[in-house]
Amino acid sequence: MTTVALDTPKATSTPKALRKDLRYPSWFYLPAGTIYFILFLVPTVASLYFSLTRWTLFNSTFIGLENFQQFFREPFLFQSLINTVIFAVITSGAKVVLGLLLAVLLTSNIALRGFLRSVVFFPVLVSVIGVGITFTVLMHPTQGLINTSLEAIGIDGPGWLTDPRLALFSVALVDIWRGVGLATVIYMAGIVSIPQDYYEASRIDGARPIQQFFLITVPLVRPAMVTVIILSFIGGLRLFDLVWAMTRGGPGFASDVMASVIYKQYQAGFYGLSTAGNVVLFMLIACLAVPLAIFLNRREVNQ
Amino acid sequence: MAGLNLKNLYKSFGAVEVIKGVDLDIDHGEFVVFVGPSGCGKSTLLRMIAGLENITEGELFIGETLCNNVEPRDRGIAMVFQSYALYPHMTVYDNIGFGLKLARAPKEERDRKVREAARMLQLEPLLDRKPGQLSGGQRQRVAIGRAIVRQPEVFLFDEPLSNLDAALRVSMRQELTKLHHDLDATMIYVTHDQVEAMTMADKIVVLNGGVVQQVGAPIDLYQDPANLFVAGFIGSPKMNFIEVTAKTVGKGEVLVQSDVIGEISVPLNSDRVKTGDKLTLGIRPHALSRSDDGPFSGQVELVERLGNETVVNFTLSNGSAWMAVLDGDEPLKLGSEVRFSADVGAICLFDAAERRIR
Repeated sequence: MTTVALDTPKATSTPKALRKDLRYPSWFYLPAGTIYFILFLVPTVASLYFSLTRWTLFNSTFIGLENFQQFFREPFLFQSLINTVIFAVITSGAKVVLGLLLAVLLTSNIALRGFLRSVVFFPVLVSVIGVGITFTVLMHPTQGLINTSLEAIGIDGPGWLTDPRLALFSVALVDIWRGVGLATVIYMAGIVSIPQDYYEASRIDGARPIQQFFLITVPLVRPAMVTVIILSFIGGLRLFDLVWAMTRGGPGFASDVMASVIYKQYQAGFYGLSTAGNVVLFMLIACLAVPLAIFLNRREVNQ
Repeated sequence: MAGLNLKNLYKSFGAVEVIKGVDLDIDHGEFVVFVGPSGCGKSTLLRMIAGLENITEGELFIGETLCNNVEPRDRGIAMVFQSYALYPHMTVYDNIGFGLKLARAPKEERDRKVREAARMLQLEPLLDRKPGQLSGGQRQRVAIGRAIVRQPEVFLFDEPLSNLDAALRVSMRQELTKLHHDLDATMIYVTHDQVEAMTMADKIVVLNGGVVQQVGAPIDLYQDPANLFVAGFIGSPKMNFIEVTAKTVGKGEVLVQSDVIGEISVPLNSDRVKTGDKLTLGIRPHALSRSDDGPFSGQVELVERLGNETVVNFTLSNGSAWMAVLDGDEPLKLGSEVRFSADVGAICLFDAAERRIR
């Protein structure tokens, strides 16, 4: 960057040079701005419009809010909305708690710590589809490894993915298994940044390990916890691939979430309806995640 | 009421031995300062007393109790950390009362003790603040308050003033001395700053390489150092040294000689020196005075004129850097030759094993 010599009075008397200098870096916005505009702003605004139409690739008819009405009128579509929230709450809740416990374990002085850390993080690296297919096989009601193992110790295993009451929770379980590694890593970064002095001081003050966990670790790992909550909650709301790989929303519509329903409507050619579903999902995430983030971050500032 | 008793303490981290057989008695109510260069083991020794480091070998008694395997909370100690280690998510009030809360002290008692400590340390207006909103000196006082409410037998301080600016350090030093007087508790204080050690201690323990070099009152260490290390470490500016050879050993005195300073006769009441021994001669900068026929001569490198005294850095002909502190103002020119003489009674001699010859 060219520099303006501020120590000479000449520099202040030549605003032309100064203005030129200021404008120069603003060109750097352009590539990112263009990409953002084309790939994010245009589709977002377009989808808002197309959600109010019945459309194909070549033409569209404006039909007002009919798509939205239909979306909320069809029970299975509305059920997917409920399922989405249940799924997000369960998976993010479990990741927040399990991730913290695992992180505490993996930052303490245990044998094989490095190995265990990679074990916990490994599922994050594996393809979601691969995970989904593998667990679908494992969870097969009669030949799956889980149920045959249970059978060996005399327990009649349930139909993990075939029982409509269980299917959503089985998928949630796999998502937790897959996603807890990332939560753990975020927590671990938070925990190792807590100075050891606090633990030593509290030890002298008389705190036992369990008290140290609740009175020192939990409050001080809060920024990491906020990150984990927000990331895993939004991730849970948007989840598609794992559901699609494991159940395709089945049996029936039992494990359908918003994203899978939207995809199904799209496949079936109801472009307007699926676009409306996308808008609903977008609003749902915005309405839940934004206040949550604001609430959590405000508490953090108050700390 | 507790003193401490350290018997042949050892500490190793893996194969590295950090504390090598420390024996030390500390009486109740004493203000003891562990001093030494970084890495000398002084903080480790303090942490062993606190119970934050295991004792590899030896015995640690606090009062009458053998404390090797006693949890820190049960040792009757409180510790102030170099970083203060104030819990950032708690208010000053909660920080000070944390230990009492953990000990399930009744609420009224807790409140009374916290407020009493706050009053003592002038923290009352700050009780609702978080540590992040406090200045360094205020944090320091909160850390001390947290120690006081535990009513410990022994206070442990790990370089508590090293994060403060110079002026605050002086005033906190005085506050700590006063606190020691008011509380009548045993205090152990770790520092690398020998001025802190000299000004605060009843007893200084000089450590180097995990070994106690000398234990004694500050003025004794200054006037009567046991070895070369203590002589060089205690006192500011530090003692000047030069290697000499014993030329003739007479009754009650020895004539030492070196190419740089010629010959000097030094009084000596020891029969440990033999003719031809290699010795180190030490002389404090304050014991030097200008004299045109003095034995110590060199080239002036730096003159610091402070008004009441003048600090002169000069180089001997063999290249070693010496200092002299002269009374009053001495306008010496840089690069000029200057000669000093010394009161022979103030000269220390050390043998080849760096022990003092008295």
